[in-house]
Amino acid sequence: MVVILYILHFYLAEPDTPMPRPLGISSLRILAAIRDDVGYGLDIVAHTGMPSGTVYPTLARLKRAGLVTSRWEDQRLAEREGRPRRRYYDLTAEGRRALTEGAARAYEAVTALGPGPVEGRG
Amino acid sequence: MSRRGGAARAALRILAAVVPADRRAEWLEEWEGELDALESLREEGRARDYPGVAAFVAGALPHALWIRTEGWTMESVAQDLRFAGRLLRRSPVFTLVAALTLALGIGANGAMLSLVNGLLLRPPAGVAEPERLVQIARSYDESPRWDNWSWPASRVIADETAVFAGVAGYAATSLVLGRGTEAEAVPGLFVSGSYFRVLGVRPWMGRLLDASDEVAPGAHAVAVLGHGLWTRRFGADPGVIGTTIAIGSRPYEVVGVAPAGFTGVEALGTPPDLFVPAFQYTLPVLPGSPFESWELSWFQLFGRLQDGVSFPTAEAAMDPLTARLRSARADLEGVRVVLARGVGLTPEERTEAGRISALLVGIAVLLLLLTCANVGNLFLARATDRGQEVGIRQALGAGRTRMARQLVTESVVLALFATLLAVPLLASAGVLLPGLLPQRVAVSLTPDWPVFAAMAAAGVLAGLLFGALPAWAASRQDVARTLREGGATRGRGRTRLRDALVVSQLALSLGLVSGAALLGRSILHARAADPGFDADGLVVGFVNLRASGRYETDEAEAAFRERLLAEVAGIPGVLSAALAGQAPVVGGHARSSVVPAERAEDPEASVEAEYVPVTAGYFETLGLGIARGRGFRPAAEEPERVVVVNEALAGLFWPGEDAVGKELGGGQRIIGVVPDVQMRSLRAPANPAVYYLMDQEERLMNPVLHVRVGGNATAAVAAVRRAMVAVDPELPVTNVLPLREGLARSLAETRTFARVVTTFAGLALLLSLIGLYGLVSHGVAQRTREMGIRIALGAASADVTRVVLGRAMALAAVGVVLGIGVSLLTGRALEGALFGVEPTNPLALGGAAALLACASLIAAWVPARRAGRVDAMVSLRD
Repeated sequence: MVVILYILHFYLAEPDTPMPRPLGISSLRILAAIRDDVGYGLDIVAHTGMPSGTVYPTLARLKRAGLVTSRWEDQRLAEREGRPRRRYYDLTAEGRRALTEGAARAYEAVTALGPGPVEGRG
Repeated sequence: MSRRGGAARAALRILAAVVPADRRAEWLEEWEGELDALESLREEGRARDYPGVAAFVAGALPHALWIRTEGWTMESVAQDLRFAGRLLRRSPVFTLVAALTLALGIGANGAMLSLVNGLLLRPPAGVAEPERLVQIARSYDESPRWDNWSWPASRVIADETAVFAGVAGYAATSLVLGRGTEAEAVPGLFVSGSYFRVLGVRPWMGRLLDASDEVAPGAHAVAVLGHGLWTRRFGADPGVIGTTIAIGSRPYEVVGVAPAGFTGVEALGTPPDLFVPAFQYTLPVLPGSPFESWELSWFQLFGRLQDGVSFPTAEAAMDPLTARLRSARADLEGVRVVLARGVGLTPEERTEAGRISALLVGIAVLLLLLTCANVGNLFLARATDRGQEVGIRQALGAGRTRMARQLVTESVVLALFATLLAVPLLASAGVLLPGLLPQRVAVSLTPDWPVFAAMAAAGVLAGLLFGALPAWAASRQDVARTLREGGATRGRGRTRLRDALVVSQLALSLGLVSGAALLGRSILHARAADPGFDADGLVVGFVNLRASGRYETDEAEAAFRERLLAEVAGIPGVLSAALAGQAPVVGGHARSSVVPAERAEDPEASVEAEYVPVTAGYFETLGLGIARGRGFRPAAEEPERVVVVNEALAGLFWPGEDAVGKELGGGQRIIGVVPDVQMRSLRAPANPAVYYLMDQEERLMNPVLHVRVGGNATAAVAAVRRAMVAVDPELPVTNVLPLREGLARSLAETRTFARVVTTFAGLALLLSLIGLYGLVSHGVAQRTREMGIRIALGAASADVTRVVLGRAMALAAVGVVLGIGVSLLTGRALEGALFGVEPTNPLALGGAAALLACASLIAAWVPARRAGRVDAMVSLRD
């Protein structure tokens, strides 16, 4: 089933035009996490509570859209602690703007829906 | 490093293969870095908000797939799809054959998956929040068991309200509905007042039983009809509510109808059709009330956990509950309350069903692999023919991966088409499967969405599997050479690959064919098996004495026995007849503890022996010779309480001595010893057994009539049935059969496997022969020119045929040799279902191998002969 979903996903995605549609809630939550200095993929997973299978592909998409950048931590530090390097994610200026816009849009949507709990869906 | 971490790292390495080579190292490093960090956090105990290692690493697959497909554009994918569709349409015969072949494999898998889904995965129908239900069983400190509860014990357990939101119980039974010729035996349940509430079942009509129906033992006769019974017997008449129906000897008021699809909580057996209050339960044979006795354990319990109570918490709470039970009754020392998640199957049944399902699914997967090999071969053959086209496209600039993607797309599209074709095959699974299984199944096996989804996934995987082969072959193709040679590429590698596919097909199908042969021999063996007595010419009939309620005294029952035996003796051709408490293998089984009189005080000395009360003519009727001593005389001539034991019991109690003249703990004198008879099962060794004289025993539930006839047992069944009805026209006569048939039926599991494996073996054989045929004829077609030259140069047509045939038979030989290895594996897997045949039986294995070899010869000979008939001039001119 996963395979079929992914095939469908690829057929639907339009990778040549970066981020053609407005950012979804998953993307916004990830951007917000990075803004709050949650920089590692693992920590984003823990912070947002979303599955790693959503977080990583979304990070890759955000990166290609130029909303986030990534950099490796210092090789020497990792070597000293005898472990592999880790990769951080940072927001770009454009990412910051997209987050602000997206958050405003989400807020509008919530207020338009009126009071009551709104469940975030990816 | 933890083992788990090792597995996670290994999984990451494998997944890394999905990521394009230029980004692989980077991808792997990121994941390994995060995994390492996660493990450190877990070791330090700071991973509360973090996912588990497995859950975290699972995300690597979508990530890898995303990166792999990043460059794919909608246009290119659409183009692939269009192109694939066009190609498949262009050769409809190829497409149809390939899709049908694959549909077989996918459909067979779907059917087996429906079985696993219906039996093991899907909760019982119509039950609310089934995940909060638990089974509550009685076990022992010393020996773990899975037993029922007595009524008083069930009350103590039901008081445990901190853990259970509700505790309910039931006892399954067969109830006789209606009277006289209208009577029929229907499966029924005695249920506690909490039964429907705990399950969260709503009535279809009227009301269901509740706490108000738990009045007093024997009082308040009300009944709820199962939906099936209501439609079948009452024509779905809503007016049935409030009317009175006869169940056994009593009138019951119908208060409601259970919802459609509700089949109780047991996945196996016959779904219940009638529900009556537990207080209607009676035990005519045993002394004491079933509602006061702590010894009579007849009530099966389950419960619903309180909100917020997890299963481990509930399990932990069983210790104080056990303590409370033990303090309630001194003789409950050693008893323990145990839980199992969910309802449907007991833990033992679950293991057993799991074993059988695993085997069936294994066979289906084998068939799917075979079909994949077949279709892969078809694709390879076509890829060979399409060499030029692929070459041109490559020369025009299509990248290798792009070409490979095109081929994979094609096979996935084909696999999806095949999945569609397999849907009707699968939809029939719900109807076909129950007839195939060794045991009756109460739950529906009709496939639902998860099964269809899994099947679609299997289809896509299959597509990827067989699509990968030609894709791989295409990516290795040398463009310039292909074009130069006019497209008829016959790369060595590719030929080898096709050979390997056909060889593995032959090997796999030999595994299935020899499995079928082993099972077939088991059934033949069972037909002729010696159960320890003369089974031919014996008819057994189950007498439903309790249902009528008219034989409540010893005298009435004894009189009935006498009349029945006299009536049967009057049938022409009947040599002798007798009644017994149980019939070998087919039913009525009961055991009791016995102990030698001289060690009556020693609890260690008692053994569980088959309890077989019989009438005087029993041993003659069964054809069982008396080994020592004598058999029974009619009760009037036996002043003393006497028993006959089998050799197993005599050997156990008095090894090396003569058991005749000894005494059992109950004061019965042993007058004879008989050879062992397999009472329970043809597979198990005979248990110790004690034969009692029926008239000296307590009254029986339901005796079994044994009739020995001179001629054909099957022909005598109708006459025996008539004789039973003649004695009492109201007696429900449900089960009269030749004992041989009963013995054969008892090997139901073997039969199930025999049917499934034989069907699949036939399909597998057919598929691999098609594969071999295809390989040889395709080879011949490609080499027509070469054959023509050989013939033109003077080779005899027989020589050419021999060359082609020789090569094919060499492949078949390799297939057979490997197949014998596979056969040994399937034999091992089927061992539990075999009967009287070793898994390595040379006759079965040799026969299967010979069959495969002969069939291969025929499959290869047809195209090989064509090679010999090549007209030299025609082939060279073309």
